Amino acid sequence: MLRHQDDAPAPAPEPAAPLIELRGIDKTFGTVKALSGLSARVGRGEFVTVVGPSGCGKSTLFNIVAGLEEPDPGGALRFEGRSCHAADLLGRVSFMPQRDLLLPWRNVIDNAILALEIEGRPRKEARAEAMRMLPEFGLAGFEAQYPHQLSGGMRQRVALMRTFLFERDLMLLDEPFGALDALTRALMQRWLLDVWQRHRRTILFITHDVDEAIFLGDRVLVMTARPGALKLEQRIDLPRPRRPDLVTAPEFIRLKRTLLEAIEEESLKSFQVAQENAR
Amino acid sequence: MTAQRSLAVQRGILGALLMIGLWEGIARGFSLPAYVLPAMSDVLLGTWNKRAMLAEAASYTLSEALLGYALGALLGIGLAVALTLLPRARGFVVTAVTAVNSVPVVAYSPLILLWFGIGIASKVVMVALAVSFTLFLSTLAGLDRVDRRSIDLMRSFGAGRLALLWRLRLPTALPLILAGLRVSTVRSVIVAIVTEMLGAYGGLGWVIYQAVLQINFVQVWSAIVVASAASILFFGLVGLAERRLLFWRNA
Repeated sequence: MLRHQDDAPAPAPEPAAPLIELRGIDKTFGTVKALSGLSARVGRGEFVTVVGPSGCGKSTLFNIVAGLEEPDPGGALRFEGRSCHAADLLGRVSFMPQRDLLLPWRNVIDNAILALEIEGRPRKEARAEAMRMLPEFGLAGFEAQYPHQLSGGMRQRVALMRTFLFERDLMLLDEPFGALDALTRALMQRWLLDVWQRHRRTILFITHDVDEAIFLGDRVLVMTARPGALKLEQRIDLPRPRRPDLVTAPEFIRLKRTLLEAIEEESLKSFQVAQENAR
Repeated sequence: MTAQRSLAVQRGILGALLMIGLWEGIARGFSLPAYVLPAMSDVLLGTWNKRAMLAEAASYTLSEALLGYALGALLGIGLAVALTLLPRARGFVVTAVTAVNSVPVVAYSPLILLWFGIGIASKVVMVALAVSFTLFLSTLAGLDRVDRRSIDLMRSFGAGRLALLWRLRLPTALPLILAGLRVSTVRSVIVAIVTEMLGAYGGLGWVIYQAVLQINFVQVWSAIVVASAASILFFGLVGLAERRLLFWRNA
């Protein structure tokens, strides 16, 4: 509830010291402009969700913040207040891709400690740390199982645990629950909020599900159709901890309407562009 | 799983017995001369009578095959791994290796025999040449099969080239490397035997060649039976190791 204490005296429009800040970021692939003048900032300890029409460059944004892709020259990228290249972020951001990408030859515990191993931590120590975390991720007793023996939800939790164990201030989650069924997804969302509140990490979370974006986030960023830029930034001042019936609350519905309108407009744009191109 | 396996083994044995019976029936029924097809019972008897000589020849051939196999596997896998670390050399090396291998390995045997003599060294070199090509190609294909997104994930954890190779690329390539190793078992025995027939001091190929000169066709077949038994054993052992190592694919 750190954020609410921050907000209580004077609700600032932006968090004071952003952990990461992007200003005027462009990214071009050949002739395709994926991002154009994108600006966004994420404050320390904040949970920011990103929604947008498909193909809007959400993944490009993520790859830049994960350090995998360098933006076009001209924009500014700042991490912990210092300007930096995207490549400097490699190894400083814990990143979870859409698919769990568990290694089939490693069991649960060894998949979870992958990032720690790459950091050079002794295996024994890393395993012990991961073992302590298993119950929290609902994986107690499954440490010796292999990915092919687990359900989709469990695999996703192993992948999340791998991301959490790689202790970095900023966590990037790219539609982590996209492949799960609705019921499992709702459970995982509540569970993620729970874990986030205990560990107090900063999270940037991509989704195409507006409900998910509102339910999880302190702020929702809506992206425009390609080339991606920031369309709308919506604060979500819903109380935490958030309960499952929140999705039927009037404030929730109101926020959802605002966001859906913005997304709808952008989806329509990208649809029209696609049609024109087809002609 | 194990029940299925033992059923497969039973069927294999049954098939072999059936073939032996058929062979025996045809050879005896048509009273074929030995140079066409000696009866299987004669072949087995001949094998038993010459067991000491055949065992010695087999161990000679197998040691050549195994040595060449190990050397070739190291060479092929090593070269493929080196190319992933030095991607710029790839085009050149792949072309060169393919050029060397665009003719049957046996075509090099006169030269190899000339360079390495008719002792064990020339057989080892020939086997290594054949095995290294197979393993070079299968390892390269295996290393390429790695998922781009997995690489990105590991890079985001700060992994360098060596960490990627060791923790991601090699395990991903393992199924294809092991398939290459399994196929190469039989190939290594074949190449060793063929090279022996061209000039050697011993081994199953040499036995076959000598037996042909002496018009002893039972002995030719005895050597062939021993050679295929050795090949099957080698193939089976590597196949067993493969299943053990790739436990995650058995599900």
